[in-house]
Order: sequence, then C-alpha cells, then structure tokens
Amino acid sequence: MVDDTQVATVTRPQIQIQNAVKSFNGRVVVDIDNLTLGDHPIEGLIGPNGAGKTTLMRMIMHSTPLDSGTITLSNANGDRDVVISDLPTHWMAPHGVVKSNQVIMDFDKLTILDSMLLAVAKHRYEQPHRILAEKSVYDANVARIHEYMEFFDLGDPYRFAGSAGEKKLLDIIRCLLLDPKFLLLDEPTAGLPEDLTEKVMETIRDLAAAGTSVVVVEHDLNVIWNLSDDVHFMAEGNVVMHGSPQEIRENKTVIEKYLGEGHV
Amino acid sequence: MNLDWLDAFLISGLFSVVVIVGLGLLLHLQLGLTRIANFGVVGFFGIGMYSFGVLFTKVDWPFGDFWAFLISLAFGTFVAGLSGLLVGWLIADLDEDGVLVGTLGFATAVAILATTEDGLTGGARGLGGLRFPYDVGSVKADEFLWLIIVSIVVALILLYVWWVHRTPYGRLLIGIGGNEPLARSLGKPAFRAKLWLFAVGSAGMGLLGALFGVMERFLAPENLGIDVTLAAMVALVIGGTARAWGAVIGGFLVIGFFDIIVQSYLPFPREWYGQAIPNIKQIVFGAVLITVLLFRPLGILGDMRRDKLMRRVHGG
Amino acid sequence: MLDFISDSIVIGLTEHAPLILAAIGFALLYRLTGLINVAYSETITLGAYFGMWVNTTFDLNFYTVLIPAGLLAGVISVGTYFAIFRPAKMLNVGGLEMIIISFGLSIVLRHALQFVFGYPVRFFEVPPPDTIRVLGVGVGSFRILAVASVAVLALILYLFIQKSSFGLQIRALASDEDLAQASGIRPLFVTVLIWFIAGIAGGMAGAFYGVSSSVAPLLGWRQFLFIFLVVVVGGRKGLGGVIITGALTGIALAAMTLQFGQVLYAQLALIVAFVVLLKWRSKRAAETVKV
Repeated sequence: MVDDTQVATVTRPQIQIQNAVKSFNGRVVVDIDNLTLGDHPIEGLIGPNGAGKTTLMRMIMHSTPLDSGTITLSNANGDRDVVISDLPTHWMAPHGVVKSNQVIMDFDKLTILDSMLLAVAKHRYEQPHRILAEKSVYDANVARIHEYMEFFDLGDPYRFAGSAGEKKLLDIIRCLLLDPKFLLLDEPTAGLPEDLTEKVMETIRDLAAAGTSVVVVEHDLNVIWNLSDDVHFMAEGNVVMHGSPQEIRENKTVIEKYLGEGHV
Repeated sequence: MNLDWLDAFLISGLFSVVVIVGLGLLLHLQLGLTRIANFGVVGFFGIGMYSFGVLFTKVDWPFGDFWAFLISLAFGTFVAGLSGLLVGWLIADLDEDGVLVGTLGFATAVAILATTEDGLTGGARGLGGLRFPYDVGSVKADEFLWLIIVSIVVALILLYVWWVHRTPYGRLLIGIGGNEPLARSLGKPAFRAKLWLFAVGSAGMGLLGALFGVMERFLAPENLGIDVTLAAMVALVIGGTARAWGAVIGGFLVIGFFDIIVQSYLPFPREWYGQAIPNIKQIVFGAVLITVLLFRPLGILGDMRRDKLMRRVHGG
Repeated sequence: MLDFISDSIVIGLTEHAPLILAAIGFALLYRLTGLINVAYSETITLGAYFGMWVNTTFDLNFYTVLIPAGLLAGVISVGTYFAIFRPAKMLNVGGLEMIIISFGLSIVLRHALQFVFGYPVRFFEVPPPDTIRVLGVGVGSFRILAVASVAVLALILYLFIQKSSFGLQIRALASDEDLAQASGIRPLFVTVLIWFIAGIAGGMAGAFYGVSSSVAPLLGWRQFLFIFLVVVVGGRKGLGGVIITGALTGIALAAMTLQFGQVLYAQLALIVAFVVLLKWRSKRAAETVKV
C-alpha cells in the first residue's frame, strides 16, 4: 500500500525515504523500507505514541542522523534531486526543507521582530564585516513580517514572546518566513487557542495550494481529518498503511491500535 | 609638550585599563553573545604580541621604522586571527568542557612556544628592542601619545561591538548563543559563524597584544599568564557580559581601581606594592567573579534589552 | 629501541604517577557531579602545602605526612562545596557560569595561600631519596612509593566506587538524582563523600608532586590542563579509562621528553594530540539534538 504509483509524475517537492533505520540503545525506533512524502499537497502522519513520528521528522531534518539509508528531496521545478541525508542540519532550510517543533523552542533574548528577522536574513548579510546590513534585511522583509503579525494578531513586534502558545506560533511563523518547499509540522496546533488553530490551518492550506508540500504530525485528529489530503499511519517505526482520511478513519487496524472503539 | 601635570603611573595605569577593556569587549562577542567561554584570551593576545615583536626586531628592514612597524603590526594581527581560525575549528562543535580544554590548551601552547623557541623569542630571558614608531621628545610624551593611539583603537573596537548589536550578524550570534539547534534548523551555519567569530575576535586580541608589547618594550613569557584572561573576564563579568558597555564599565571600575587608584593614590606602605597588593588584587578579582556570578550573573548593566533596542532602531 | 621503551615506561609511570591519582579525583567530581572544577588544581596545591607544613613543623616523615595532607585537602574540598558550589546549585547558576565561578575560586585560593604560607618557594624536609634501579633506570625511592601508593589508592577507589554499596549509591546519584532520592539515598551525604574523596586524591597527588620537586602556588595549576585532558579523553569509560589514559599520558610524556630532550615540547605535542582527538571524536559522535 505504501508503494503507491497513482501520482507518477512529480508535480510538487517530494521526499523519498529509503531503507532508513534509526535505533537508540539497540531499540529500533524507525525502520522504513520505502516511503514517499509529498504525493499530495497536505499529508497527515499519525500513529500511537512511540511509533517514531517525531524521530522520522528529525531524521529528515538530519538533526537525528540515520543509522543507515537515504533521504532524498526531489524538486518540482526540475532541479536536481538532493540527498539530504548526506547534509548537515543547517543546509535543510536553504534547500527548502523546514520543520516546526513539537516542544517549545525559542530564543530567550530575541524579540518577536528579532526572531523573524533572524529567520529571513540571508547568510551573506550575517558576516562580521556586514555592519550596515540591518537596513537592507529589514526593508526587504518588513512587509511580510507585518503581514504575519497582523494576520495572527500578534500586536507589538518589539516585545518578547510571552505565553507558550505565542512561542509556538512564532516557531511556525519563522518556518513560514523561510519560504519552505517542503514543510514539516510537528503538532503545530498543540497549545494554540482555537481561533489561532484555524488561522494556522488556513495559512497551511494556502501554502499547499501555492505548491508547497506539507506533512503534519498531529494528535488532534480533527486537524488531520480537516487538513490532510492523504494520511500515513505509523506504528512501531514503520508506515503500515496510507490512504485518504476517510479510509484511514474507518480502517479496523487503525481503530484498534490507535483510535479506540468509541472514537469514530 | 609640557607633561609635568601627568603622573607616569597614571599613564601606565590607564594603559592597562584600556587594553583590558579592549580584550573584554572582544570577549563580550564570544562569551556574552555567543556563550562561548574563551579561557585562552591571553594565548591570542600573546601570539599577536610575539609575532609582531619577533618580526619587527629580527628582520633587517630595508625601509624606515614606521613602515616596518606597521607591517609587523599587521603580521601580528594576521597570525593571531589565523590561530583563532584554527582554535575555532577545533572547538566550535565541542561542548563546554571541550571549549575550556581547547582554549586553555592554546594559551598554554603559546606560553610554551614563547619559552622554547629562544632563537626567535629570547626564551625565558625575553625579547627586547621594541620601540615606538615615533619620537616626540621624552619617554613620557612617547608613552602618553601611545596611550592615546591605543585608546583610539579600543574606542573603535567599542564602536564595532556596539554596532554589532544593531546588525544581522549580532542577531545571529545571539541566536546561536541562545539556542544553537534552533538556529541551525533555521539554516544558520553555526559552526562557520563561530569560526569567523573566533578569527575576528582573536585578530583583535592579537592586535591589542602587539600594541601592549610596544608599551612594555620587552616581551617575556611572564606576560602570558592566566591573569590577563582573568582581568578581561572580570572586567566583562562585573560590567555585564551581555552588554556592549559592560567591559568598559567593569574595566574602569575594577582594573582602574587597582592599577590607578591603589597603585598611585592610596597610602599603602611601599613594601606592600611588591607582592601583597598584586596578590590581593588577584584574590579580589577571583572573589568578584564568584560573587557577581552567584548573585547578579549579568553584572551591573544587566541583561541585553533587545526590546528597547529594536524599538529604537526600527521605530515604533 | 627496547631501552627507549622500557625507559619511557619506567620514567613515565614513576614521574607521572601523581597525575593518575589527581585525575581519578577530578574524574569523580566531573563524572558524578557533572562539574568542571577548575579549583581542583588548588586542592592539589593545598595538599602539597599541607604536606610540607606538617612535615616541617612536626618533623614527621613523608609517609606519615601523606595522611594529614590528604585529609586536610579533603576537608577544604568539602568546604568549597558548601561555601560555593552548593549555594551556586541552589541559585540555579548555569553550566558556563559554574565553570567561571570555579575559575574564580581557583584564583582566590591560589593567591590566598600565599598569605598563609608566604611567597618564597617551599620544600619538604626529607632525606635525599635512595636511588633504586628499575629495568636499568635509576628511580628515586619517593617515586617508587608514589607509584605503589597510586596503585593501591587507585585500586581502593576503584573497588569503592565500582563494587561497594556506597559506590553504588554514588553512581545512582550521578545517573538520576530524583530516582536516587526516591530509593532512599541521602544525596547530601553522598555528594559530600564524593567531594571528600576527590579532595583526598588531589591532596595526596599534591604531596607527591611537592616532595619530588618544590612547593609553589602554581604547582596544581601547572598540572590542571593535563589532568583535565586525561579525564575528558579517558573519562568516558569510567575510572578504568581514566587510570589507563593517565598511565599512557605519563608514558607518552616521558617518551617524548626523551626524544625531544625538552619536556615542554612533550607537553605541547600532548596538548595538540588530545585536542585533535577530542575534535575527531566529536565529528563521529551522533549529533542528536532536540529539533
């Protein structure tokens, strides 16, 4: 089922995972023979706790190195494929592969504006001798930053992110500012109030419609059923099935292993 | 120029304050922004000092003192920067203990080389023959002019450091210091950034070392002790590691107190100045480090205020 | 060639035996409390000064002196824990700041002891050691004693940490403080014990260093970098790794000193080798981070 050929031609960025294995202290956490992400605009990745979802995402970002196997990014516009599992973490964003974090990650000493400017600044401006680069970076990006600030109703950009929800949102906005070709979201709505969850989902839909491939890991299954065009179900380190949200939702194994009887 | 009003001790006291402030400012970029504890400050300081001194005194320069001096100065700065690149490469992806070992090891290596290579450095006997690139009459006037020149250099370093807070580069350093994994996931090459940080910071430290050596006129391995690193660290920590002005305030307060006020203006018995006062000075420095870090870790000036800074820079 | 090897081994082990002992003490602190204690170098220096003081004041022979030197250094070590490191931990001082604090303490102790013991370099008053020939190399009797004591002490400590019930508690505390506390271990008592044992090891090492040359304020600091290198490089495999790395370091230092004719070159080569080794190891280590 995993080896699906319904979309043979590459229409959007895809990530191919082949023979990828990761184990911690001898326990195999992820073991995937062959998996393609990005056949559909938005794909959900679900599974019971400990199935290896977060580890798989970290493996794609190469912040957790693989024991073996390869992960390849193929681009929609005819660029050459990139074996991203050979590259260090900081090359992912330049290749367009970006991930938001499950746990709250923030820069304590940077303001909201700082945080966004840091995300968008091209590295050529971040050199010791580029002492006059601030204005260029600010002018080139201030419009976009304000757009997000207003859309998510963040208020004053010159302050520090306060609540956990705000930091989570900021984490997602930083990812969006990076113009991802392939966006991985690890529980993007956990800890966000409902109206913001709606707005995040709206933004993700727009992004996907514009050509970005999105993979969402989420515990709130309503988000998955609403958002995804396709759902991968992961258990014990492998993607054991995938299909439309409807199919997965009604699948017996999924219900037994994960959803529980009373859920549907 | 009549300089009778000026005490010779005041010149040397101010000079040491200014040099330590310069080192503290460069350390601020590493320790305060990027959170790398460089315990090898004196190593970069020393390698710049000796590279400059050896080239200047050992080469039979075909042209005048002034150009020979400038070329040697550039050489000392360059060698220090290069060694910073090397040390940076060795330690940029190590954890705190690795950084401590690497930087301390480098400082020790420089002290060892200054001792063993006596063909070049004069070994334990030291290296003489350094002089000012000018002569304005008296020794005192020469030293005073040198103090002013070095003060200008340190003021430029201050300007640069102050300005870095207002650049994407400074933001990158703060980002790496605050959350390196997150910075890397945003596509920031943390390793390379640290490498260049070390190269630039070390070049600056080397330049200060060379300028310091000129005032000393005589280079000896005793100049390469851990007390230089300690003084720069104390100045920075008491003033405020996270602030551009921290090293300046801390330097004038602590180093100034000992090297100017105690040295010249307090009525201690003469025999104390040989061993007791330098000893007390070190004890106070150590105690200041402990006390400040326990009770006010960010020093007198406190934490950086990016909220105010960003508002000021980008309006609003 | 064979002579060179045997000379290196004999000189290396006898001359650098205190390095192994000091490294064991430092490793206990580093591995079990997670602290990089720069002031450990002054524990060593103090051991040398205490030994010299007991030796010259009460006219005791060197063997007897080792015990009070170690105990006093142990007490001071515990004292620094209560005066500085425990409050620092309670104030939630960060890891980087903790290193700088211990650096400050090192400076304070190093210079304060000059007020107590005076500025001039001091010496133990001991009869000149007999020279004993080992594998054709003349070795002073104190150095033989040092090797023997280090071997015995290292064995005791090793057995104590790895086999005894106290050792079990210590290791449990190091791996998980909450869990250890829940299972009835008294963290404070065990922590104090670690600091005391580390202090004894450092103090005795200092006495050995002092008797074989002189007693000076920089005695411990001169050794610190090498102790630290031995522990950082060898400490991953527990105390056994530290002991083996320490012994190999001593032998390598001796061999290179014989080869280059200059101890400083040997030290230089060792620093470079160790730092490059750390770099190489970090390249291979998995860069698992939380993003």
